[in-house]
Order: sequence, then structure tokens, then C-alpha cells
Amino acid sequence: MIDATAHDVSTMHPSEALSPRERFKRWRYRNRQALEGWGILTPILVYYSIFFLFPVVSVLYLSFTRWSGLSGAPVWVGLENFHKLLTVPTYTQVIGNTILFAVSILIIQTVLAFFVALLLNAKIRGRGLYRAAWYIPTLTSAAIMAQVASVFIAPSDGVIMTIRAQQGLPPIIFYTQVDLMRLVIIIYSVWRGVGGPMILYLAALQGIHPEFYEAAQVDGATGPQLLRYITLPLVMPMTIFVLITGIIGTAQIFESVMFLSKGGPANLTNVLLLEIYQDAFSNMSIGLASAEAVLLGVGLLAFSLFNIRIMTRGRVGE
Amino acid sequence: MTHDHIFKMTRRGLLYAVLIISSLIMAFPLLFGAAGSIASSNDYARTPWFPIPYHPSFLNYYLALGGTNTIQSGNTVKHVSALDTPSGDVPRWALNTLLRAGWYIIIPAISAVMAGYVFAKMHFRGRDGVFVYLLSSMMLPGIVYLVPTFVMMARFPLAGGNSILGQGGSGFINQWPALLITGLVNVYFIFMFRQTLLGIPIDFEEAARVDGANTLQCIFEIYLPMLMPTITVLIIFQFVAIWNDYMWPLFVSAGNPYIYTISLGFQYLSAAGNALKGLPASTTDYPFTFALATVSIAPLILLFFIMQRYFVEGVQGFAIKG
Repeated sequence: MIDATAHDVSTMHPSEALSPRERFKRWRYRNRQALEGWGILTPILVYYSIFFLFPVVSVLYLSFTRWSGLSGAPVWVGLENFHKLLTVPTYTQVIGNTILFAVSILIIQTVLAFFVALLLNAKIRGRGLYRAAWYIPTLTSAAIMAQVASVFIAPSDGVIMTIRAQQGLPPIIFYTQVDLMRLVIIIYSVWRGVGGPMILYLAALQGIHPEFYEAAQVDGATGPQLLRYITLPLVMPMTIFVLITGIIGTAQIFESVMFLSKGGPANLTNVLLLEIYQDAFSNMSIGLASAEAVLLGVGLLAFSLFNIRIMTRGRVGE
Repeated sequence: MTHDHIFKMTRRGLLYAVLIISSLIMAFPLLFGAAGSIASSNDYARTPWFPIPYHPSFLNYYLALGGTNTIQSGNTVKHVSALDTPSGDVPRWALNTLLRAGWYIIIPAISAVMAGYVFAKMHFRGRDGVFVYLLSSMMLPGIVYLVPTFVMMARFPLAGGNSILGQGGSGFINQWPALLITGLVNVYFIFMFRQTLLGIPIDFEEAARVDGANTLQCIFEIYLPMLMPTITVLIIFQFVAIWNDYMWPLFVSAGNPYIYTISLGFQYLSAAGNALKGLPASTTDYPFTFALATVSIAPLILLFFIMQRYFVEGVQGFAIKG
């Protein structure tokens, strides 16, 4: 930092008489970085406290209350909401569905992303085009594409139904078959989710020095061995990153369920975010919706902390 | 040709086959929608596995964007347009979404560049404490505190007929401020700019300071031009995020068609194709739905092809440069 020695007061004797005005000016000069720094940070801190800290404290408080959100004050009910969520079958079903979707989508999209990245990392022509085909679904609106996807499974005039009707096959009613609905939601989510991890794996693969492979080939290693003993260990940091950021995303599955199955049949594909939305806006149970949100946050806390650690340590996937 | 050669050729052929087929599968819903959007309703029904537009027409796009259709049934002639109701105004939603995206690019960029500068270049007591406090927001996904944020919007003091205690009215619900007021400080971006600034030597700033530049001038005249690659990534990511944002607009603006964004508005118009084309009310006109969807997602796909490099580097930058 630059210091104009002409203004340097550190050599001055403290007893030397100074006017308050002069003393303030010198104090201001000495602390100019702190003053400017706080000047920039204060509005950000105030904003952040209103729109992050306050809602977080509120959601914690509200999760222990019963409140319609419309009128009156929240009524303290202790652990009732959490007890309900963890014991009443309707809610345990929702939690189970969320975990099922989050984990199965995460695993399928990560494995798929890795193998697609392997293919795209080969010396091929038109890589940009294949990469675009695999990445573009990620850019599309989850809400809009889920509504487009529902055209394929619509009960009377959907694409699959029309094809079956033309071939004289009996119709499949997707909305009543839980396994089919789950499969549709998983396929749709993987379709939208695979692009991000694919791009990340591609970067990790391109970061591997070719010498590793050459040296191993000299020693007579085969293709699968190269994959097992060189590629997989070297992309491990990226795999950890992709899995941790991935689970935070897949656990927040919402639009696909909302538009493809509406949580049905019989609540068997319902997920936490949809339940939060329904409880807060249709059932007017702000307390219960808050408890569901808190449960989700607590469930993801370990992953989020790990994510912060990866980020602040820097340099993943090298 | 040796055996080895044939083996290698087969392997390459197989590689390309897998790549092309898998890419086509990934693109299938989008290709299906694009082809269906220019097909007539009869063409669409003829080949259910993939709509072949024998009679290509842009009628569906014309109608989706608010064009007027003249429907003759018997002796009566009706003029219908999606613009007849506010919940069909695609151009307005697009404008709303663009305005919102611009706001969510400019304000978070300014706040993040300035905060990033403080955390990278200034030294004073309390700085690191503030940094940790800000980082703590990353412990929780935004959805966790979405409901109280919604309540805060509804109970905002002195807004939308509310008293000073936030009672009596509907606050910011179904009004613009609710779509613009949250999420203006983005800790990811602050972190991103801090990291980039840490890599820029102080010499440029010192030279400018000697010439009499103050802190704001240093930030916006010295560092900002050097931060352009990071800012491009911010612009792209915010644009995509806001264009596709669905849940928050659903929470706070579902009751006011005038402030719908594209992603939210879609659902209110997508089933209106039959009415706009004079088809029986019992049917759903999917070609219209596809045209509307194509219009809604095309801007991002175009943006991707124009700025492909930044998309890829941006995604990778989050993980690699951190």
C-alpha cells in the first residue's frame, strides 16, 4: 500500500497539541482502508442480514409453530411438525421419494456423464456439436420442458399412446402406475441434469497428462486397466465435487414432479419441494412447510459444508 | 490391411455411431418440438413417432406471439388472439424476463465486484469475519428460507396496503418489487471476483493511486476491464438462471399476468392452441404448445451457440478455478 510520508503522524509526539478537526482528519487518513472497506460492506451486510439471516432465523422459528400465514400469530407447538414429518406415513413417503429420486438421478447422471466425457475426449470430429447436444438440455427451462415431456405420456392423445394405438397395442396409463411415473421422472431429470457433470468431467479428463497413459501402455496395460488405474483415480477429486454439488441439486427436484406426475399416483412420487409448495400455499400450513424446509437444509448441511470447503480450498479436479 | 487396422477402423466407426445416436437421443425432445411446431395439426397426428411437417407453416409461432386468427364457424366470424387476455401476452413476458435479467446482472455484478475488491485488496480488522459471515449463506440452499422470504414479501411494511407492522394488505405479492428485491447479493460471485482479484498484482492500482485515483476509480477503471472474463461468466449464468427461474415467480407473481416471466407464463397459454385455432375444446393442440416452448427456450440455445466457449469455461471455472 502506498503511504504518503508527508501525512505520516506516527513519528509525532502524542502530547503535541492538535485541533479536534485536525485529529479527526488524521484518524480518518490512518483508517482510510477500514472506513472505505466498511463503507462498501455495510450496505451489503445490511441487505444480507435482511434477506438471508432474518429468513433463516424465521424459518427455524416457524418450523416449531402452527400458522396459516394469513392472519393471527404463529402458535408455538414445539416439535409437533417434525414429529409429524418423521412418523406420519404421508410425509415419510415424501421424504423417502425425495431420497430415492435424488440418489438414483445423481448416480445415473454422474456415471453417464463420465462415460460421455470419455467418448468426447477421444480424437473426434465435430466435438462441439455432440457436446452441444448433451449440454443444451441443461439450459432449457425445467418447467417448460417438463410440460413438453408430459406430451409424450399424456393419457389419451400423448405420443406414446398414439403410437401404441396405431399398432393395436393396449394403452398404458402412466399416471396410475407408480414405477412408470418414477421412471419417467428419473429419465427426464437425467436428461436435464447430465450436461453439467459431463462438461466438468471433460475438463478433468483434458487435464490428465498423456504421459501417464503412454507410460502405462509401455508397461503393457490394456484399455480397461488404463481406465481403472489411471483415469478413475485421477478424476476422483472431480467425482467428489460432482457428487456433492449434484446431491444438493437433485434433492431439490421440483418442476419435473409438479408437471409430470403432480406427486401422484397416491402421493407415491411426491417430493419435499412440492410438499413445501402445497403446504405453504394450498394447505396454509406455513409451520409445516417451514419444518420441511429445515429438514431439507439439515439433510444437505454436511454436503453444503463440504462444498464450501472444496471452494475455499480451491482447485478441484487437478 | 492388417487385422489391427480393421480393428481400429471398427472401433472408430463404433465410437462415431455411439456418439451420433446418443446425441440424437438427447436432442430428440427438442427436435420433436421444433418439427412439431411447424407442422399442421393434421401432419402432427399422421406420424406420431416424429412429426413430419408436410405443410410447414409458422402459424403456431404467429399465434404464440400474439397474432390474430380469423375463425369462421357457420355464419359467425371470430377474431382471436392470445393477447385477448393478459395471461397470453408472450412479448410482455419476454420483456419482463429481459428486464429482470438485466437487473439481476447489473446489481449483483456491482455488489460482487466491490465486495470482491474489499476481500482481495483491502486490509482491516473485521474483514475476514464478514467474509465468513457471507460464506455462511452457502450452507443452506435458497429453498430452505423461501417460505419466510415469501411471508416477508407479503408482510412488507407500508407496501401494498400494509400498515407499518405489515398487516392489512398483500405487501409486494403480485407486484414487481417481489420479483426484484431478493438475491441481489450473491456470495458465489463475490467469491469468484475475490479469487480473480487475488491473482492481479497491486502494481496497477498503486500506479493509478499515484496519479490521484480514489478507491472507486481503482475498482471500476483499473480492475473492471481486467475482470471482463469473469463478468461474462456472471452475465451468462444470471441470464440463464433468470430466464428459467420458475419457483420464485410462481410464489410471488402467479396472481398477476402483467408481471409473468416466460417460464411461469408458459403454463397459462400452452393449452390455448385449440381455442386460437378454432379446434374443439376437448382436444389439446400440441403443435401450438411446441411453438410456444420453442419460442421460450430458443434464446438460450442461440446464446449457447454464440458464446459456447464461455459456457464451457464458466461451468469448469466454478470447479477448477474455484
